[in-house]
Amino acid sequence: MPSNEAQTTAAPEAIISVRTLNKFYGQFQVLHDIDLEVRPGERIVICGPSGSGKSSLIRCLNGLEDHSSGEVLIDGKKLDVHARDIKRLRAEVGMCFQQFNLFPHLTVLENCTLSPRWVRKQSRKDADAIAMHLLGKVHIAEHAHKYPSQLSGGQQQRVAIARALCMKPKAMLFDEPTSALDPEMISEVLETMMELAAEGMTMVCVTHEMGFARKVADRIVFMERGKILANEQPEQFFGRQTNSRIREFLGEMHG
Amino acid sequence: MILDFQIIASVFPSLLSATKVTLALSLCILVLGVMIGIPLGLLNAGRNRVLRWLSEIYILIFRGTPPMVQLFVVYFGLSQFEAVRESFLWPVLRSAYWCAVIALGLNSGAYVARMFAGALRAIPAGQIEAAKALGLGPVASFLTIRAPLAFRTMLPAYCNEVIMTVKVTALASTITVQELMGRARSEVNDTYAPYEVLLSTAAIYLALIYGLSWFFAWLEQHLNPTRTGRSADKTPATLSIRQEG
Amino acid sequence: MGGVSFDLGLGGFGPQLLVGAGLSLKLWLASLVLGTCFGLLAALSRLSGSRILRRLAGLYINVTRGIPELLVVFLLYYCGSATLSWIVGEYVELSAFAAGTFALALVFGAYTAEIFRGGILAVPHGQTEASQALGLGKLGAFALVILPQAWRHALPSFGSQCIILVKQTSLVSVIGLEELMRKGKIAVNSTNEPFIFYMTIGAIYLAITLILTVVLRLAERRASRSLAGA
Repeated sequence: MPSNEAQTTAAPEAIISVRTLNKFYGQFQVLHDIDLEVRPGERIVICGPSGSGKSSLIRCLNGLEDHSSGEVLIDGKKLDVHARDIKRLRAEVGMCFQQFNLFPHLTVLENCTLSPRWVRKQSRKDADAIAMHLLGKVHIAEHAHKYPSQLSGGQQQRVAIARALCMKPKAMLFDEPTSALDPEMISEVLETMMELAAEGMTMVCVTHEMGFARKVADRIVFMERGKILANEQPEQFFGRQTNSRIREFLGEMHG
Repeated sequence: MILDFQIIASVFPSLLSATKVTLALSLCILVLGVMIGIPLGLLNAGRNRVLRWLSEIYILIFRGTPPMVQLFVVYFGLSQFEAVRESFLWPVLRSAYWCAVIALGLNSGAYVARMFAGALRAIPAGQIEAAKALGLGPVASFLTIRAPLAFRTMLPAYCNEVIMTVKVTALASTITVQELMGRARSEVNDTYAPYEVLLSTAAIYLALIYGLSWFFAWLEQHLNPTRTGRSADKTPATLSIRQEG
Repeated sequence: MGGVSFDLGLGGFGPQLLVGAGLSLKLWLASLVLGTCFGLLAALSRLSGSRILRRLAGLYINVTRGIPELLVVFLLYYCGSATLSWIVGEYVELSAFAAGTFALALVFGAYTAEIFRGGILAVPHGQTEASQALGLGKLGAFALVILPQAWRHALPSFGSQCIILVKQTSLVSVIGLEELMRKGKIAVNSTNEPFIFYMTIGAIYLAITLILTVVLRLAERRASRSLAGA
C-alpha cells in the first residue's frame, strides 16, 4: 500500500498536480492511478526498477506523452496534449533528457537562446546575456561558441540544463540525466543539479543515483509496475523502510 | 581518323552559347523541383495517412516512368486539347522550353520529395522532443530544427540531383529545345561531322559536371565537420556521381 | 478490329505498342547482361594492383557518368559504325539495337562498377584468408566465396540500377529503334492523339518498374535471410 505520508488534497500552490493518472499502451497499462503533488521548491526523486513507468510518468508531466485518463495540472492549468497552447505549458516546465538532445547544428549559446528568442520573443542581446549568465552558473561559459559534438557528455548535459533554465521554468524535470554518462562525468552533473536545488528550484528527477537522492530529495517516490509504492521522506525511505520489495530494491542498489 | 580541329573551332561558339540554355534550363528545373519537392516531402513524412499516400503516388509515378515520356505528355500531349490551346496557359504550354521546365521540374520534385522525407524521418526523435520540451511549437521546431537538420542530411543527395538535372536537360532536345544536346544534334546534321561535334559536346558536359562535382565536394567539406557533429567523410577516389536513388 | 483487341481508344495500335514493349525488354536484357560484364570488369580493375588498370577504369567510370546518357547513345550510333569499320578494316554497319545495347551497357557498367566494388569490399577479409587456407586458388576463392557474398551486399543497389535501365531504354528511340517509345511516336503521327498514347506508354513503363520493384524486394528479403546468419 502506498505510504500516504505526503499526500494532500490539491494544494492550490502545487506547481505540478497529478490526479488519478492512468496510461495505456494499447492493452498494456503503463501507469495505474497515479496521484502526485509537487509543491514549489520541492525536490522529488522518482526511482524504481526498469519498466516501472517512471519515464512515462515524467514525460506525462510536460505533455511529451499523452495520458489515457486522469489529469495533470501545471500551476493550476490543465495539461491537454492536443490543445493548441500545449507549447505554452511546456515552456513552463524544463526538461533534461538522458541523451542530452542538444541541437547539433547550433552552438552552445544558440542552443540556449533558440527558444527564448522564438517563444518568448526576446531580443538577441537579452537572450544572449541571460544564456551566458546561466552557462556561467553551470560552469561552461567558456565553451559558449562550440558545437555540442566538441563537448564531452558531462559538458553537454550541463549545457542541456542551462538551455532548459533559459526559459525560466517553474519546475525542472530530469529523465535519468546521468545514465548515459561515463562514471567520471556523473559527479559534475549531479553537482550542478545540487546547486540548482540549493537555489530553490522545484525538481522532479528520475534517477538511479541513490546518493544524490539521499542528499537532495525532499521526497522519494518509488514506482513498480506503473504504481507508486512509496512517497516518503528520505529518512523514512532509506532508514525505516517497511516495504519488503523496496528493501530488496535498495539492497540491489546498495542504498 | 584524325579530328578536324577547324570544325571543332567553328562549332564551339555555337555549342557554348547553347550551354547557357542548358544552365538556365537546369536552374528553372531545380527551382520548380524544390518548390514542389519540399512541401511534398513534408506530406510524405507527415502523419496524415491520406496525404502520405497521395504524395507517395506522385513520387511513384514520376520516378517510375522515363523523363522522356513525361516530356512528351506535357509538350505533345497537352497541346492536343483545345481547352488547353484556348486557355491563358497556352503561351507557356506551347513553348518547348517551358514544357521542359514543367515536365522535368515535376520529375525533379519527386526525387527531392523522397530525399526530404527521408531526411526528416532520419532526425533523431530526441531532437524533436527537446524542441517540444522547450515550448517550441510545430512551425517553430520545423523552421529552426527539423528543416535545417534535414537539409544538412540531404545535401549530398541533392548535389547529386543537381548533376542529374544538368544531364537530364539533354532530353529536352527531343522536344526541340535548343540546349546543348539539341544544338549538337543540329550541328551534326549541318556539318556531317559527328565525331568533332559530339566529342566537343561531351567535353563541355564533362567540364560542367566535373566543375559541379568539385564545387559540391568543397561545399560538403566546408559545411560538415562541426555543424552536424559527424567526422568528415573520406572523399571517394572517383567523383561520387551517384545515379538516381 | 477483332481478336485480342487492346482497343482503349488506341486506334488499333495497341498490339504495336506491345511489340515495342517487347523490344524494349529485349534491349533491357541485352544491356543488362553486357553492362554487368562491363561493371564487373571495371570493379575488378579498380581493385587490382595495377595502377594503369585502376586509372583506366576510373577514367571509364568518370567520363561515362559525366555526360548525359543520351549523348552516349548518339556517340555510339554516329561514331560507332565508323570507328568499328576503321578498326576492322572493312565497312561494318552498327544497327540501332546494337548501338543502343552497347551504349546502355556502358552506362550501366559505369554505375554498377562502384556498386560491385562496394559489395566486394564489404566482404570481410577473413573470408579470403579462409578460402586460401582451404587451398582454393585465387579464382576459385573469388568465384565461390567472395562473389556470392559480395552479391548479397550489392543486390539492392544493383536492383535499383536495373530498374533505372528500363527507363533508359526509352532513349534508344532517338536513333530509330522501334521499341516502345518509338512505336508510340509512330502511332501518334498516324492518329494525332499524343495524350492517350504517351499516357499509355507511361503506364506500361510504370507497370514494368513496379513489377521489378516488387521482385527486387522479394529477392532482397531472401538474400538478407542468408546474410543474417553470416
